[in-house]
Amino acid sequence: MSSFFRMDPAEACDPLSNFEPVEYDSELERALAEDPIAEIDAKPYLQISPRASVQEAVEMLHDSGAASLLVVEGEHLVGIFTERDVLEKVVENYLRVCSQPVENFMTTNPTIVYQSDPSAAAAAAIAVAGHRHVPVLDMDECVQGVISPKRMFAFMQKHF
Amino acid sequence: MSFKVQLSREQIRTLPLRDAIAIDEHTVARAAIALMRTHSLGCAVIVDQGCRPQGIFNEQSILRMLVAGVSLDTTPISAFAEPHVGIVRANDPILSAWQAVVDQGHRFLCVTDDEGYLVGLTGQRGLAEYVCDCYAKQIAVQRLGSAPWMLQREGA
Repeated sequence: MSSFFRMDPAEACDPLSNFEPVEYDSELERALAEDPIAEIDAKPYLQISPRASVQEAVEMLHDSGAASLLVVEGEHLVGIFTERDVLEKVVENYLRVCSQPVENFMTTNPTIVYQSDPSAAAAAAIAVAGHRHVPVLDMDECVQGVISPKRMFAFMQKHF
Repeated sequence: MSFKVQLSREQIRTLPLRDAIAIDEHTVARAAIALMRTHSLGCAVIVDQGCRPQGIFNEQSILRMLVAGVSLDTTPISAFAEPHVGIVRANDPILSAWQAVVDQGHRFLCVTDDEGYLVGLTGQRGLAEYVCDCYAKQIAVQRLGSAPWMLQREGA
């Protein structure tokens, strides 16, 4: 007698035959749950080397009107430097710190999302964790953009 | 009810408003910045003697000061403040706050009463929290973190 378990073909059935797709109350609810972050406009974004000076970073923020810089080594994210870092760590001692590298003042280990995450993940990073700038990575951990509240709201508005 | 209809029916007063930092236009930058840091808030609202918003000193103002190389101890905030303040009334529908943020690009909105007196602050953060409350089943359950995705997996 064989030791293998043998299934009676008559008992075999489609394991998804009782699958019931999720029903959403609105198109926006569906988009938040199912549309990937890749659908949200995450560009343009600015990046800077961790060894650039604080002065360069401040001037880049000022000249571009952007509120954050992704600090990137090669193609990989090592931190983020935002207007809030300027307020919290830089402004009161600017003359003393302006020539130091930005890596000393950036926020390390920022909350990230992946392009394949549902768009609700970006909303969670903004609304629950309270981050204004959420870096977007691909599955190779390479930077693909940054999502701000304004970009998130613009995505939502498409699904009103 | 669609989200847009909901935005147009509910009033801004129902949002979790933040207390604003209300200061005089002659306040020096270092004092304003110290208040912003203490309250973890990215702006201070310049008000007149009746507490009506006249301008906003924000993180962009700070960048302009640093690039201009002026002294924080002697420069009044009015020299670098934004004169175009986003103002909404507490009785306005949330849709007007949404449009001010999305269409006009305001990050902060001064919320006033019907007389124009400052009663609080909202903006991108307040709207994001409102969205999260409305779509908690989708948003509040999301994984958050800074570790690579394969390290954040749960289970086998």
